[in-house]
Amino acid sequence: MAEIRKIKVGTASCGLAAGAGAVLDFFRDHAGVEIEEVGCIGHCYAEPLVEVVTDAGSVFYRDVKGEQACLDNILALGETGRLEVSPSRRKYEMLKVTRLAGRICPTSFDAYVAEGGYGALKKALTMTAAEVVDEVKRSGLRGRGGGGFPTGMKWQFLAAKQAEKKILICNADEGDPGAFMDRSMMESVPHQVLEGMLIGAYATGADILFIYCRAEYPLAIKHIRIAIDQIREHGLDVVNGKKLDIIIKEGAGAFVCGEETALIASLEGRRGTPRFRPPFPTDRGWNDYPTSLNNVETFANIPLVIGEGGAAFAQVGTEKSKGTKLFALAGDLKYPGLIEVPMGTTIGEIVFEVGGADPDQVKAVQTGGPSGGCIPKELFDTPVDYDSLNALGAIMGSGGMIVIGTDRCMVETARYFLDFTHRESCGKCTFCRVGMMRMYETLERIVAGKGEMSDIDFLADLGPKIKKGSLCGLGQTAPNPVLATLRYYKNEYIEHVRDKRCAALVCNALVDVKLDPEKCVKCRLCIRNCAVGAISDDFVIDNAKCTRCNTCIDVCPKHAVARVEKGEGYYAE
Amino acid sequence: MSDKFAYLSSVERSRTYLIKGLQTVQAHDGYISDAAIEAIAAYFSVPPVDVEGVVSFYAQFKRTRPGKYKVAVCDGTACHIKGSISILEWVGTELGIKPGQTDRDGLFSLETVACLGCCSLAPVMSINGKVYGKLDRKGTVKILKEYRKNG
Amino acid sequence: MPNEIKFKIDGREFTAAPGETILEVATRNGISIPTLCHNQKISRTTSCFVCVVKDKRTGKFLPSCSACPANGQEVESSSDEVRDMRRTALNLLLSEHAGDCEAPCTVACPAHAQVEEYVRAGRRGDFKKSLKIIKERIPLPLSISRVCPRFCEKECRRNVYGKPVAINDFKRLAADLYYDEYMEDIPVENGRRIAVVGAGPAGLSAAYFLRRLGYRVKMFEKMPKAGGMLRYGIPEYRLPKAILDREIAHFFKMGIELECNRQLGLNLSLDVLKSEYDAVAVTIGCWKAGSMRCAGEELALQGIKFLERIAANDWTGNNPGKTIVVGGGNTAMDCLRTSVRLGSDDVTCFYRRSEEQMPAEKLEIHEAKEEGVKFEFLVAPVKLVRNDAGKLVLTCQRMELGEPDASGRRKPVPVPGSEFDVEADTVIAAIGQATDAPPGLAVNRFGDLDVCEHTYRMSDNVFAAGDCVTGAATVVEGVAGGRIIALGIDGFLSGREYRPEPVVNVSRGHWQSLRKEDLVFLRQDVSEADRVPQRLIPIAERTSTFHEVAATFTPEEVQSEGKRCIECSCTAKGDCKLRQHSQEYGADPEAYKGARLQQGYDNRHPVIIHDRMKCIKCGTCVKICAEVVNKNLLSQKYRGFATKVEGLFGRTLPDSCAECGACVEECPVGALDWRFKA
Repeated sequence: MAEIRKIKVGTASCGLAAGAGAVLDFFRDHAGVEIEEVGCIGHCYAEPLVEVVTDAGSVFYRDVKGEQACLDNILALGETGRLEVSPSRRKYEMLKVTRLAGRICPTSFDAYVAEGGYGALKKALTMTAAEVVDEVKRSGLRGRGGGGFPTGMKWQFLAAKQAEKKILICNADEGDPGAFMDRSMMESVPHQVLEGMLIGAYATGADILFIYCRAEYPLAIKHIRIAIDQIREHGLDVVNGKKLDIIIKEGAGAFVCGEETALIASLEGRRGTPRFRPPFPTDRGWNDYPTSLNNVETFANIPLVIGEGGAAFAQVGTEKSKGTKLFALAGDLKYPGLIEVPMGTTIGEIVFEVGGADPDQVKAVQTGGPSGGCIPKELFDTPVDYDSLNALGAIMGSGGMIVIGTDRCMVETARYFLDFTHRESCGKCTFCRVGMMRMYETLERIVAGKGEMSDIDFLADLGPKIKKGSLCGLGQTAPNPVLATLRYYKNEYIEHVRDKRCAALVCNALVDVKLDPEKCVKCRLCIRNCAVGAISDDFVIDNAKCTRCNTCIDVCPKHAVARVEKGEGYYAE
Repeated sequence: MSDKFAYLSSVERSRTYLIKGLQTVQAHDGYISDAAIEAIAAYFSVPPVDVEGVVSFYAQFKRTRPGKYKVAVCDGTACHIKGSISILEWVGTELGIKPGQTDRDGLFSLETVACLGCCSLAPVMSINGKVYGKLDRKGTVKILKEYRKNG
Repeated sequence: MPNEIKFKIDGREFTAAPGETILEVATRNGISIPTLCHNQKISRTTSCFVCVVKDKRTGKFLPSCSACPANGQEVESSSDEVRDMRRTALNLLLSEHAGDCEAPCTVACPAHAQVEEYVRAGRRGDFKKSLKIIKERIPLPLSISRVCPRFCEKECRRNVYGKPVAINDFKRLAADLYYDEYMEDIPVENGRRIAVVGAGPAGLSAAYFLRRLGYRVKMFEKMPKAGGMLRYGIPEYRLPKAILDREIAHFFKMGIELECNRQLGLNLSLDVLKSEYDAVAVTIGCWKAGSMRCAGEELALQGIKFLERIAANDWTGNNPGKTIVVGGGNTAMDCLRTSVRLGSDDVTCFYRRSEEQMPAEKLEIHEAKEEGVKFEFLVAPVKLVRNDAGKLVLTCQRMELGEPDASGRRKPVPVPGSEFDVEADTVIAAIGQATDAPPGLAVNRFGDLDVCEHTYRMSDNVFAAGDCVTGAATVVEGVAGGRIIALGIDGFLSGREYRPEPVVNVSRGHWQSLRKEDLVFLRQDVSEADRVPQRLIPIAERTSTFHEVAATFTPEEVQSEGKRCIECSCTAKGDCKLRQHSQEYGADPEAYKGARLQQGYDNRHPVIIHDRMKCIKCGTCVKICAEVVNKNLLSQKYRGFATKVEGLFGRTLPDSCAECGACVEECPVGALDWRFKA
């Protein structure tokens, strides 16, 4: 039997939420071998994940519990509970940016250096700043935060500025619900992000580096903070002969602050409202100093660009979208988690081959977060790159990808996204502030069965105007979920409005709940758990009282309770 | 500045750090009172009304005292699809409060959050920052009862 | 200039200096672009998006207040697409903007008299000013203040909690006090002559406004005296004819001529008038009585003819004996109450629908009952005969309410076998009135004169207004029509067709949908007192004489009513940029219906009102106070649709703001404004 060298426990947020903390404690107390905390390897569905490093290679265990039987199995390198990565996933994945994620201890400077970390920075310092910028330009790297602006160009603008101070900001305000690429990178390989920033500071001549991170990511903040202390210890924060100010700023809960001018306002201690550009931040940014903003994933790519050279980097990807892209897969699929694939991989390959979704159970995928658009299954052979997605009315966004199953209601899905975006509007632009509210109200009416056919035209008319009449990316994209679902699933809207019917049985106002006496075993769990007393002693659900809360459906051990079409349920009065 | 907010001196005295200052106060007091707004305004030399505008803009800042246990039900996309509305309903019923409220004993307060970044474990909630994933009704209620028992 | 930028707006080339915005260049060259959040005194806001222009190359919409042109750029500022975007922005703003541009009383007044304004003048005891305001729209205040059904009061926001302000009584007192002495500025005659045919309310009003526009006016009246229905239809006890004479005397003072006993088609030729006058205003009213549509109806008196006869006899006549009046309108009430006054002690109204459906004014019905009039509802005449004893016998049928008809009212249907007879000395049919159109004038499908809806022009130089166009209506509606016809004729003769100005009126909603908390009180001292009751002459005097029933309010009574007025209209109605642009771009407050945020208002400051529900969140006040005044008293709070502008912790602005008011002056709408109206 192979000798166990070390046991690595994934303790990124996803792992901890699944119970990795208890596993870690248990192993520390009982395993008797070196235990190392690592980040996330992307297989979040399998957390808590444990990697057993042996002299013959690594073995991964999934869904690990902190108990003796489990420990014994792992120490014996047992066959049960091993993580099997499907060959199809291996085929399409390309781990470049995430090569080290989940493999090394995120809080260890030495571990990063041992894997070649800060080699790219060293190499960059042997080049001129202009050469570094050129290399980034040559790589074709485009902003990974969603906009897709060429990173090298942005740096060139900043580098060309003569100013008392120049600012480089790492945008880690990953606000898209359903996206967690940036969190994962910061938690798992904080040094890789910092290395990218230091190279950026050298290339652009920046003096102050900000990392603007969501406050909801405490672990990411902690790891970045530790990493900053470590590079200071090692003197890596002195670039171009000057000591850089590296400052972590925690966001305070505002999606709009992912927008660059809003983020800058927030960094200045103001309300996070965007402003008209030009002037662009590279001309007038934080406190009027020239400023460049790049996203976490963009910075994490920089060591690769410099390390292997721009030309080599550009070998991967499509003509206009170079390199790999991280996606956070979530929703109705087998393997939710983080994946890295070359640009140009098709949506189908990602969803079915990597994510393991059942083609018969998938209706669409939502890309680009709440302000992206849905792409129906029929278009899943679309390659993932900035321009192809835009053409479909969706956006790349930062890389969230939510798989929507066949049993989901697209109108409700659109309503849900607008519920989020209309609340996150900063309130500055008329179209976004009022228009999004009006669209949201209209969708609320439709899912409540109170829509009129004119509402559908109203949505189709106002949506594009909001996009055209808003200053920032939020308003410019927020109507997308409605417009995209109207484009591909108009029939569902018409059904809700004209027939007062939700085929997916999702919209509460358009469904009843019914108990099937054939299946019922009269255990009374439903009756006992019903908060409104809607279920009679002879097991009949009164839909007049029922609030459609799903509790009875959830507690029934025999699946005897189900949602049915409106009118099929019983009404007492 | 009143002594009550003397701990603010750990924060750099520049407007750039205003949000940091607010976060420091909230971490200390659990919420941001009128007095805190005035103290922060004085500390950073920013008009108090301006500070109030900033506080009210960001969802993180609370203007009322929260419960001992801050329950945050995630209503991010993945969680929503996985039924976070039901989770919210169950939690609300168990605690007898609605999002944005604190219960009468000051033990629990409830809110929804956009995304806790644990989408693969959806649906999730967090209590004082500790995340609980793959929730069902039974599990959710059990977790809450556990906290209540501990008081 | 080497740095000059050349670009095009709507195809015209302009030159911009570096840093100059598209809006600045446009303004400099006389191209008007609407703005709301833009204000030169403060840093750029770029939020309202009302000023958008379209970049022709990229297809993007740019806020012209902030976008600087680029060399060779072409932008559109007046295309349909740009106008649509601007209109949409305005519609969206209107949908969250809650307030009353104009007071509901003013909106409700068919003549659009500035009701709130004359009530305010009355409250302050300035009845002369009150009268002046009234007469801008109502040339017959002595009459209208006595006979108007008070459209204004029905919409008064005081209905939300209690009774409406006694608005009409402001008119009455002001007119009673100052009508004789008040004289408008009358321009010298412009050499053009107008003939007005019919000197009733519409004709008098047309003559009045035409004269004020400089025309020489001559009225032709078929009856022996001017006044039309005011004289021959409305009973003396409601409008004493001595008062009407006073009212009409003023028209002669204005230089308006009158020739009586001239009837169109009889002894007056339209063709002659058309050729001798520059224009002809036909305001001949509705003098044809409606039919009872039952056998023997010729035995009944016609309501208006009955009244006309009594009027012509100076409100004297024989006791009609036992009287039945068939009909439920105001004319029926007039016939009933006149019959009482002529000595009958048995007067009954027969109406085929229910009491709630009666079109007569509630007050009229009430006063008729007080005077002993009996009412039979759901009764319809079937036949009228004279029996051998010389008495009239009216056969009637009971009715019940069925399905709603075209008017939305439940239609009365006969109850089979419910016929009954009733004896009477006099039966009066007050069923309605119709236009008796003279030959040669086109009529519409209702038999009324057919006019252009905007200009009231019929054909050639002939115009028409009043009852003969609308069908029988109220005096104030006739007066309103008289003004339009004057404007229509003026437009016609000066070569620019009259079109009413587009008016956008945002409303908080009908009072029935409001609670007291939804109302905004500019003054803290709006009186909580009950409405001043109407003083009437004793009932014995009412039933035996034609003396005027209701007394004029005293100045003290009117002033105390004035203190009950909430002053609903917007303080900024005259200079609100949102309203102006909305009118220009055809925006509609009803276009996007949805929730409005309940943000409350603050009237605690000595002179400033902060009505947040009117706020369009442009933040101009915040910036003015911060950047110009350096006081930092306001900020924007919350975000998105919930964005709200207010002071620290919602406190009222300090008293010292009274001396500055910079925010008030710059608010593009009426959210921050001076609390007291001029």
